[in-house]
This record gives sequence, structure tokens and C-alpha cells, in this order.
Amino acid sequence: MVGWEWPPSHTGGLGVHCFEICKELTRLGHQITFLTPFAGPFTPVDGVTFRFPGESRPGPGPQYPTAYWSGGTADSPFSDAIDGYNHWIRTLDGIDGVDVVHVHDWFGTIGASAVATKLRRPLVMTVHSTEYDRSLGHPWQHILDKELIGIRAATRVIAVSAHLRQQLIDRYSADPKKVRVIYNAVRPSDRLASIGSEKRVVLYVGRLAVMKGVDTFLRAAARVAPIIPDALFVIAGEGPEYGRLVELSAALGIGDRVMFLGKVSDEEREILLSGSSVFVLPSVVEPFGIAALEAMAAGLPTIVSKTSGVAEISSGIFRVDFWDVEEFASRMAELLEYPTLRRTMGEQGRWEALREGWPERARETVAIYEEAIEAYGSRA
Amino acid sequence: MKIVFYLHLHQPWRLARFRYLDLGSGRSYFDLDRNLGIFRGIAERCYRPAMDRLLRALEGHPEFRVSLSITGTFVEQARLAAPDVIERVRALYRTGRVALVAETFYHSLAFLLPPPELAEEVAMHRELLRSEFGASPKVLRMTELAYSDDLARFAEAERFQGMLAEGWEGVLRGQPPTYRYCAAPAPTVRLLLRHYPLSDDVGFRFSSTSWSEYPLTTEKYVHWIARTPGELVGLFMDFETFGEHHSARSGILEFLSALPDAARREPGLEWASVEEAIQGDPRAPLSVPYTMSWADQNRDLGAWLGNDLQRSAFEAVKKVGVVVRQAADSAILEDWRKLLTSDHFYYMYVSGHGADQGVHQYFSSYDSPYDAYANYMNALTDLRRRALERLGVPILK
Repeated sequence: MVGWEWPPSHTGGLGVHCFEICKELTRLGHQITFLTPFAGPFTPVDGVTFRFPGESRPGPGPQYPTAYWSGGTADSPFSDAIDGYNHWIRTLDGIDGVDVVHVHDWFGTIGASAVATKLRRPLVMTVHSTEYDRSLGHPWQHILDKELIGIRAATRVIAVSAHLRQQLIDRYSADPKKVRVIYNAVRPSDRLASIGSEKRVVLYVGRLAVMKGVDTFLRAAARVAPIIPDALFVIAGEGPEYGRLVELSAALGIGDRVMFLGKVSDEEREILLSGSSVFVLPSVVEPFGIAALEAMAAGLPTIVSKTSGVAEISSGIFRVDFWDVEEFASRMAELLEYPTLRRTMGEQGRWEALREGWPERARETVAIYEEAIEAYGSRA
Repeated sequence: MKIVFYLHLHQPWRLARFRYLDLGSGRSYFDLDRNLGIFRGIAERCYRPAMDRLLRALEGHPEFRVSLSITGTFVEQARLAAPDVIERVRALYRTGRVALVAETFYHSLAFLLPPPELAEEVAMHRELLRSEFGASPKVLRMTELAYSDDLARFAEAERFQGMLAEGWEGVLRGQPPTYRYCAAPAPTVRLLLRHYPLSDDVGFRFSSTSWSEYPLTTEKYVHWIARTPGELVGLFMDFETFGEHHSARSGILEFLSALPDAARREPGLEWASVEEAIQGDPRAPLSVPYTMSWADQNRDLGAWLGNDLQRSAFEAVKKVGVVVRQAADSAILEDWRKLLTSDHFYYMYVSGHGADQGVHQYFSSYDSPYDAYANYMNALTDLRRRALERLGVPILK
């Protein structure tokens, strides 16, 4: 498996996804060699072997970039790191007995497709998000190219939502016959939201990036704040938009009603979820939206933008157009004001979020491996 | 065997999206354009063609009988969207072989509210049938065919001679549904029961290609009716069965046209309107201590008041009714009554599984039951404020 991040160090959902899916794959009896550009530390999983550049040599690996999308130009050091990673994959020795090469997103597609060709094994690619979406329509060409290399070379492509699948077909000319959808999942948390209580906290958890639509969250909060005087708005996460968002909350006159918590640990996030009344994910672009699924799993009623992948798997959720501040505000107020709504939606959402988990996703992944092996064999 | 063929005509005043931020804005709760647009569409696909066919069938078959119930909200929308549909009902009624059935004006859950709401809404509906069609109905049906001993007592007090109810095994206790019964606590009220297997063969299963009896021909259908033991068979269904729930492509309109002919050829079959069918001695008294309906697998009120959302919304509308009555403002009262229409509660149904969820989603105009609830509660909260304002009570916030 050609990956990128792995817990405990991760900035987005990709690392968690790889960790969870690998764990379940090994439970099903599969063995995984996980390639990553980072030297660890790695949260160990039985059956998963980690390989990284410079692995045989002691000492620190390459610098861990915190936010790759904020990198400067196409020929920045970060771009060099990607090229180095792919070169390392291509020349890697000692990987035998591989049935499938599975690559996540664009980072390692060049190396992964080369390895697949060398080993005469099918390539499977999981797309978690696209460069079009991450860049809000201003993609880096060299990243698009790497995405295209993977999508073209892959025998099967996995998209994390139907919305994303359609995008791969429309924008990347992916063959519809080879693109499948496997949604993300969450593990049940021990802490349950106590939504029956009188707390009035509206929560956002996620990166503070333009595509996350946090300014919509703030503008909606400014509409709700005067109507519901005891409502509090909490934003957990860090990112390049932080300064602008703090300024915006002040300009909107709700500086005293909004709390910016910065980056929170997994445990802190669970505590936040259990202590809030409403979760909002107003992303402009959200291929899946695992943060919303985590909120639902904690029993928290959730509002998401209509384009979020998570909206596809739940009916116990409010869906709003990402630009519709008034509607976001109304949904927040409705959930804060109507306890029966809050409670029943929380229960339904929890049920839907946990109805299927990573074990089901791993089984679906194996089914796609088998499909890919068969399709690859019949082609050869 | 007498066939009692009864069709129900209803359209609710669906709510517009009324946001929490719209509270106090003076915006209307009801989406006039959308409601009338829906009405026009159904008129085109169902009301006009099916009514024309019924009229031709009545003209060609003196023995044919039809009974209709028409809600007040249906007539209100028809007046604005398709007045010719009302003309068609008048033409049907003028044949003298169509009976009209009384009910609440608003197709409401008024029967669950304290008096005098139910009596007032039934009186409104009686007045509507008199002024629009010159009819004075003898038979009462309650919203969604709700029926109980209490409702029979109400019908008796209002001097109705008959009521319609579901022919449900739970209350029949082994007796067949194919006879005239009377209400145990009010014996002057005759009961006509819906034969649900035969009614649902047309209402639900007609266009289902996976049904073992598909396709249903009129010959086969009247034969089933004829060999059913008993004296009368109640075929009660939504009027929208003909052209809307089942599209014209399914052949349902041809089925409707051909039914009287097929019945004429089948020995031993006759037609009766509900008013004819209540004449005669009842087979036995029936006691129904709880409220049953014609909906879903359980035939209870679960479709409207089965979950917490629905019960919470109903308790809220009940409570708001107290201030609405005190406010004594006709516009406020009218909006409140439109919010009592059972359809609003039906949209809040959640089961998560089973056959009924599909049926509910089909009839719903919302993304989810939570949408339906939030929107309804916003409208109700606004209405309460208007009533309080009218009463001069200062509003907090």
C-alpha cells in the first residue's frame, strides 16, 4: 500500500483512513507493506510492515510538512520531496508476493504505477479528494498530472463518495465501469453526547482552510447569536485561515460568542463532541467529511453542506447549500430551540453512522481487490 | 354481493420552507404556487381523466354507483388551480348516483382535540358540500378512516346514519368484513367496512409487476369480488389511485372504465352508494375502544403520532390552539386549522426500515422527517407569536 501519513502524526483524514483500513485488512488475514515518506514513529499494527526512505539508516527522515497545499511553487522543496518519494518507490527492492498495489491519492502514483507494472500486478487507487477541490478550482498542473497517472493506470479506482466518483468521471475522464464508491467509517466512541441537556454549543471541528467554509459558520453564528442569547460557537482546529476568521468574528460583532480552540487531540475532540448541542460542517468542498460522521457517531445532530459525501449515507442529517448562510443559521437555531428534534436526530444519526464500520469497508475493499485481480488477469 | 366503491379526494396545504429566521417576518407558511402547481399536475394526470371516465361509466350503466369524499382544502385548491375539477364533481353528483361523504374540512386530526374543534370542522365541511354541490351527506368518515367508539358517539350526536371504517381483523374478531355492522355504543350509526385485500389489490398492487396476480384484469377482479362471501364489499381507496399513484401507462384508467361492464357480466354483482348501503339491518354491533385507521401495517394512529417528533408537534399544536381560540382572529384560526391537517404529521414519520417508510417517503414533500418537523415547528412558533400579539401579551426575546 502506497500511502502518505500514518498515525500518530497526521493532518487530515487520509492517515486515519489508511490506519483503520489496514487494521481491518490484517484481521481478514491480509499482509500489508505500507510505504510512507516519513520515518515514523508509527502506531504499530500486526501484519503491517512499514517502509520509508532511509529506513536502513539510523537518523531522522525528511522534514514532515504540516500542510502540503500551502506549499509555494511547483518546483518548491516540497515538490522535490514528492519526486524523491516516487523515485524511492520505483527503485525499492525486496517487495515480493504482492497481489495488489494500492495507492492513496496523488503523492505516490508515479512510483506505485511503476511498481505495479514491474510486478505485473493490478493497481488500485483510492481518491480521498481531488486537486480541483483542494485548490477551489485553481489546481497545480503537476498534481493534476499525478492524479491522472494514477487514475489511468489503476485497474480499479475507489472514491469515498458518489459525488467524488462523478467528479472523477466528469473531470478526469475516468472510465465509469472501473470507479467504485467506498465510504469512510468511524469507530464507536465511549463518550456519548448528552444532547438532552440544556447546553447551547454549536461546534465546528476541522482544518481552518478556505474550502471548509468556516466563514459561513461565523456568518450564520452572527445571525443566531442575537436570537439565542446563550448560544456559544466553538471552532476547533488550525489552519491558514485562522487569522482571517478571528478578524471576521470580531467584525461580525460576535467575538465574545466564538471560541477558537486551536488544534485538539483525539480525546479533547471526544470531550468537545459530548459537550456540544449541534455540529456544523459547512464545507464548500467536502469529498467525504469524516468529522461529521464522528459527530454523528457521538449522537450529535449534524448540519452539513449538500455536496458533502457524508450527506449521501445519512437521512438523519440537515443538508444545506454551502453558500446559504440564512439556512445554516436557521438549522442551528432549530436544533438549539427544539429539544425533541435535537434528540431524535442525534439518535438517528448515531445509528446511521455506526450501522457499518471499518470491517465492512475492509470487506468492500477486498472485493475490489478481487475484481481488480480478475480484470487485470483477463487483460493480460 | 353489493360493491360499495368509495374514493377519497384530498390535497393538503403543504408548507413553504419557513425558516427559523423567518419568524416574525409575516411571510406565509404555505407555498401557494407549489401547492397549486402540484394540484394542476394531478388534475391533468388523474382528476380530469378519471372523473370523465366515471361520468361516462355512470351514463352508460344506470346500476353503477360511486361515493366520494372531498376535503375542504381540496376544494380551496381546486377553486384556484383547476375550477373545472369542481365542475366535474358537480356533474358526477348531478347523476343522482354519486353519494358525497362528510368529514373534517381540513382533513385534520381534530378528532384528537378537545371539543368543539371537531364539531366545528365537520360543520364547515357540511356547509361546503351544501353550498358547492347542494348535498347533505348522511355518512361520515374521519381523517385517514380513523374510527372508534367515541367517534361513533360523535357521529350519532351529529345525526349521521353511517360511518366508514377499516375492516380490520383486530376488531372483527372472526366476523367477515362483508356485512353492514352498527356501532356498539351508538346503534343508529351503521358501519361500512373497507375490504382491505380487495381494495389494496387496486390501490397498492395494481401496477406491481412482481405481484403474482399481475396484470390485474377487470374480469379477474370482479370474479374475486363475486366469490367473496357476504353481502357487501367496501372498495375504499384514494381517488389518486387512478392516474397518479398508478400512472396512466399502467392501464389503471382503462381498468376503471371497464369495471362497470365487467361487473354487469359477472352474475350476482350489484353496486351501492354508501347511503344505499347503510339501509337495512346490521349484522352485529362492533366495539372499537381505541382509534384505528386505514394506514400502515398496524392500522393505528402510528403513522401520525407514532414517534416523538410527531407527538411533540401534536402536543405543540394542541397547546397553541388554546391561545389561537382566545385570540379570536379568523386568519390566525384558519392557519392553525391548516396546520392540523394530518399530512404534516405523516411527513414526520420515521421508521428507518420496513415497507411503510417507502410509502411515507413517496407522499412526503420533505428531504427528511426532521426537515418536516423543524419547518412545522417554525410555522407553529410564529403562529403562537401572532396569537399572543393579538392578545396583547408581550413576547419575550
